[in-house]
Amino acid sequence: MAAKKIKFEEALQRLEEISSLLADENVPLEEILKLYEEGIKLTKLCQTKLKEAELTIKKLDNELLED
Amino acid sequence: MSDKILSVSEITNEIKFTLENSFSDITVIGEISNFTAHYSGHWYFTLKDSDSQISCTMWRSFNSKVFFKPQDGMKIIVSGNINVYPPRGNYQINAKTIQPAGEGELQAAFERLKRKLDAEGLFEENLKKPIPRFPEAIGIVTADGAAALRDLLSVAERRYPVAKLIHAPAKVQGEGAAEEIAAAIEALNRYGKVDVIIIGRGGGSLEDLWAFNEEVVARAIFNSKIPVVSGVGHEVDFTIADFVADLRAPTPTAAMELVTPNQDDIFAYLNDFLYTSHSKIVDYLGNKNYQVEQILSSYGFRKNIDFINTRAQYIDGLFSEINNSVSDKIKDLSHRVSLAKRTIDSADIRKNLKKGYSIVKQNGLIIKDSEKINSDKNINIQFYENEIELEKWQLKK
Repeated sequence: MAAKKIKFEEALQRLEEISSLLADENVPLEEILKLYEEGIKLTKLCQTKLKEAELTIKKLDNELLED
Repeated sequence: MSDKILSVSEITNEIKFTLENSFSDITVIGEISNFTAHYSGHWYFTLKDSDSQISCTMWRSFNSKVFFKPQDGMKIIVSGNINVYPPRGNYQINAKTIQPAGEGELQAAFERLKRKLDAEGLFEENLKKPIPRFPEAIGIVTADGAAALRDLLSVAERRYPVAKLIHAPAKVQGEGAAEEIAAAIEALNRYGKVDVIIIGRGGGSLEDLWAFNEEVVARAIFNSKIPVVSGVGHEVDFTIADFVADLRAPTPTAAMELVTPNQDDIFAYLNDFLYTSHSKIVDYLGNKNYQVEQILSSYGFRKNIDFINTRAQYIDGLFSEINNSVSDKIKDLSHRVSLAKRTIDSADIRKNLKKGYSIVKQNGLIIKDSEKINSDKNINIQFYENEIELEKWQLKK
């Protein structure tokens, strides 16, 4: 999963998945280390996104409806 | 019998003149029946009481100022004038304003619509859509510049600034409000890129909130593919929209709180993830390590090691056995070699003795040099046959 493109919401949901997988003994060792690494990356990504976030608001008009 | 003969049009026009002049400004109370909203926008209905009834029309230009949609059975007060319609020869009230005959009438209308929609299944719990936990974009249906809009924005800003807000403006009060709210919900569905829709307005009277009690709003909410959260008025206000919505919030602010996770919680979650995932990995590795040890000490593994050990011991045994027997052989052989050598040596000596040579020995050693003889000790002389020993012999120099 490309960390750059992932959306904040997806990242959070993926983290929850990873969190439960990490506690699963049936996951093979190599995979668990990859998951761990991915989890750490996603955590940093979420923290950064949340810190830098600025609320955006758009008005739903014809232009927005057409794009 | 009158001498004057009038045409139908003449008498109708006289009636029209008389009635319209006499009843140019009337207010009538009655119950609505046969209400029809024509596609042209005009309304047609009958007003009745227990004994009589009268037709009514309400043109679009007037009915667009009515905040509620009349329903059959609703008691209303109609103001307007009597109008005669010559092509049919009938008279009707041309309604200019209408209002419910009391708050109780609106309440009754509310109950009627609620019963109807409930019977149709619009409030079914199992049809309600789940609200996403982490919405990427949130649609907002409320009025431009409304206090409710400002409240919604500030809550979103505080709790979940990652979200995009899409505002679909709609009048939330007065005539045409219900249609605008429904249209805004439909527009957000066409737009499609929102995960949840909040419809909201701040507190107000029953009349102010009435748009949220209209069937058109209820149907738009029900038909929305995107989950809808209602936040209308105050805690105590319940609207039809609240019953149809996938989630009801007591106020607009509460609606935004329900659809946004709190960023403080997310930060806490992320920190917790960093902490617990590390310990989970450590536990995992510990477990695997334990499993490996368990396997190594299992009977299957020990059996093989025992087998190997047994074989090794056997080989060691064999080796030392071979070793022993070889060295015994070597000892035996070397013994036999020395015996043989002695035999060969003695055979050699005897040849010389036979020729007449003798051997002088002292202390068992053959004397090869007269200087090495000790004259104080016995000497032996060996001949071919026999041997003599000399005791107390004397050396003459």
